[in-house]
Amino acid sequence: MKKVLSVILAMAMVSGFTACGGSENTEGGLENAFNGTITVISREDGSGTRGAFVELTGVEKKNEAGEKEDFTTVEAVIASKTDAVLTNVAGDEMAIGYISMGSMNDTVKAVKIDSVEATTENIKNGSYSIARPFNVATKENPSEVTADFISFMVSAQGQQIAGGSYITVDDAAAEYTAAGLSGKITISGSSSVSPLVEKMAEAYKELNPDVEIELNTTDSTGGMNDAANGVSDIGMASRELKDSEKQQLSGTTIAMDGIAVIVNKANPTENLTVEQIKTIYTGEVTEWEELA
Amino acid sequence: MNAKIKQAMATYKRSPFSFIMRLMLILSITFTVGMLAFILIYILAKGIPYLSPGLFSFNYTSENVSMMPSIITTLMMVGLSLIISLPFGIFTAVYLVEYAVKGSKVVEIIRLTTETLSGIPSIVYGLFGNIFFVTALGWKYSFLAGVMTISIMILPLIMRTTEEALIAVPDDWRQASFGLGAGNLRTVFKVVLPSAVPGILSGVILAIGRTVGETAALIYTLGTMAKIPNSLFSSGRTLALHMWVLSGEGLHINQAYATAVVLIVMVVGINALSGLVANKLQKR
Amino acid sequence: MNNQTKEKLARNIFFAFALSSILAVVLISVFIFAGGMPALKEIGVAEFVFGTKWKPTAATPYYGVASMIVGSLLITVGAVIIGVPVGIFSAVFLSSFCPGRLHRVINPAVNLLAGIPSVIYGFFGIIIIVPFVRNVFGGNGNSILAASILLGIMILPTIVSVSQSAIRAVPAAYYEGAVALGATKEQAVFKVVLPAAKSGVLAGVILGIGRSIGETMAVQMVAGNQPRITFDMTKGIRTMTTNIVLEMAEAADLHRSALIATGALLFLFILIINSMFFVLKRRMNSER
Repeated sequence: MKKVLSVILAMAMVSGFTACGGSENTEGGLENAFNGTITVISREDGSGTRGAFVELTGVEKKNEAGEKEDFTTVEAVIASKTDAVLTNVAGDEMAIGYISMGSMNDTVKAVKIDSVEATTENIKNGSYSIARPFNVATKENPSEVTADFISFMVSAQGQQIAGGSYITVDDAAAEYTAAGLSGKITISGSSSVSPLVEKMAEAYKELNPDVEIELNTTDSTGGMNDAANGVSDIGMASRELKDSEKQQLSGTTIAMDGIAVIVNKANPTENLTVEQIKTIYTGEVTEWEELA
Repeated sequence: MNAKIKQAMATYKRSPFSFIMRLMLILSITFTVGMLAFILIYILAKGIPYLSPGLFSFNYTSENVSMMPSIITTLMMVGLSLIISLPFGIFTAVYLVEYAVKGSKVVEIIRLTTETLSGIPSIVYGLFGNIFFVTALGWKYSFLAGVMTISIMILPLIMRTTEEALIAVPDDWRQASFGLGAGNLRTVFKVVLPSAVPGILSGVILAIGRTVGETAALIYTLGTMAKIPNSLFSSGRTLALHMWVLSGEGLHINQAYATAVVLIVMVVGINALSGLVANKLQKR
Repeated sequence: MNNQTKEKLARNIFFAFALSSILAVVLISVFIFAGGMPALKEIGVAEFVFGTKWKPTAATPYYGVASMIVGSLLITVGAVIIGVPVGIFSAVFLSSFCPGRLHRVINPAVNLLAGIPSVIYGFFGIIIIVPFVRNVFGGNGNSILAASILLGIMILPTIVSVSQSAIRAVPAAYYEGAVALGATKEQAVFKVVLPAAKSGVLAGVILGIGRSIGETMAVQMVAGNQPRITFDMTKGIRTMTTNIVLEMAEAADLHRSALIATGALLFLFILIINSMFFVLKRRMNSER
């Protein structure tokens, strides 16, 4: 029994290696000779990156009843963190994923969308279509210190921080001056927004040493729920607020962020149209050669 | 030596079954130990180059993702949850061994519930902590909610090891203590418990190990704030959570590996300690 | 206060503390089951347990966890197939074939394997095991198989340590008798000693099953987490545990309740596994 198993295993290994070799051979050939089943990698339900991505690419569309529905294919690998998306795409030649542009690194390759490269410039002038706002939201009448921190985030100093890895929303914002407040602010929500708010909170605390800021990282929908239920003072979302959320919360956009669509470095694909991305993520297209 | 091998070969010729089994034994143990070595070497190789002194500075900033606050939070978490869990665990064991009527209904139920508690997965503890401490009691994501969740989680560990240690105390000692006129209570505190200390200690070490490595039970109770919590009601993050969050956005992968190295060192330390205690136990 | 009242008081205090574990189990059961109740009521128990569609955020939401039940079971069975033989053989080696000096090195190593945090296992899984499965067995690597391999490794120490103590508890006369009758060492151990320890070994296996069905953080990094039924080992699937940890942050109202109900279901599975363990342990004790 054991022997049989080990033989099978050995055979599987050998065939696995030869299969690898095979695909490498075809790669060097004709253009668009990139074959194989696409590994679709998505984020979890409730992730702001996913929310924005499906909305902007049309993966979220109206169903027969006329209600908006997320049609991401059920075969998509669900990665709960940006890191897992990066690791999967970096290691799997057939993979495609999407991440915040602020998390982009050189282990993967970002494709152009409708021939437009994902750059700050192109997002600002609106030609790169998959970009979303970073929002912070509070209930009506937030505490004085909460309101003060939000005003800092959209001030000149705050926007300068946003300009580091993300895109500013207001280049002519007024200078912020500390009012000498004290108190505690609790913030929770999107893991995409959290690195930016963390930096802003550090700068804010330098100006307002008596204010204490507590930052918890969950995800966009979680952040909105927390803010609506009073679990935290400020919720963070890496997407537009939904209509249902707008009834309870008022949002402020503190930065813009592009969503980079990423593929493996061995993948020759340089450009994808929004329509192609939609068909990949809804599962209509499952093979790379179908995109040729 | 050569003769020995020859003899072994002769045996195996006679019984191929024995040969196959011997082979499987060696393969299995090699796999088990090899896996451990592989994981350890892999993590150490990936993490050690990034262990910079900055990672141990007292202040966490988004530029320098120091793990010091998380280390301190972990220690606080271990300490406080032990303070809560120890009296419950030890006194329960004392009741079971020294007072309860053997085989009574209550004893059965307590055993059954302890057994149940030790089988509950971390995520269910986390879920419960989130429903009960965070939401129903309104503690929000807080150190206290995390501590309470962990305390319940480690309770069965301490209870069981203490019980075993108490049972191992020879009955003569109790008789002698009674004979000298000591009451039940005095006997428990002056005779039985002191001699059960190493056993209890091994439970404590197990509990520390579990707490240090825990993530699923803490994500939705303790939260993930990167600073040392300054009150029972503020959030925080332990070292394992720190590693989880650091890797999250793909911005600090190397630092996450460095954190993993520290975690591994802690776990190895805890294991070594528990080995020492176990040795001491055996010698007596 | 005289001595007698003091003793009585102490007894009552100890008794009160002893009720803590009962209280904890009652609290956990009540809150988990009560929290899942609204979802079960609204969705319907059959629809929830046997429904194959999980779309909690859709305009017309579906809350069926059948795929996650299948996922938890498939991954656990896989882990058992991989982990149990290796675990038992390792235990036999350590208890019967291992020279004392080597034992002092290997045994702590196996214990150390139990101490490694699941987050670290998860990292190891996504970086080593997922690509291994992708290259050797095909598919994208995030799969039932990858999760099974990872869990197979994670349950090793549990199986090894419980089986080892069960084997050691078998009276030496069994082994000596078999050898005296002309059995080889392997024959004596595998045909006489191991069968005598089978309750204990089985208890270890059940503990391992419990651990693998409850594991969360490591599994979610390698399992792909797709909420649909598949029996293809190279494809991914979602488990009950990962469903909770993936969506708990964002869930509200009915969705939250449905996740708690998933937890309740998991709890139920664990209770069944636990009681099996309890029964076995009793049988073991009465065998002695």
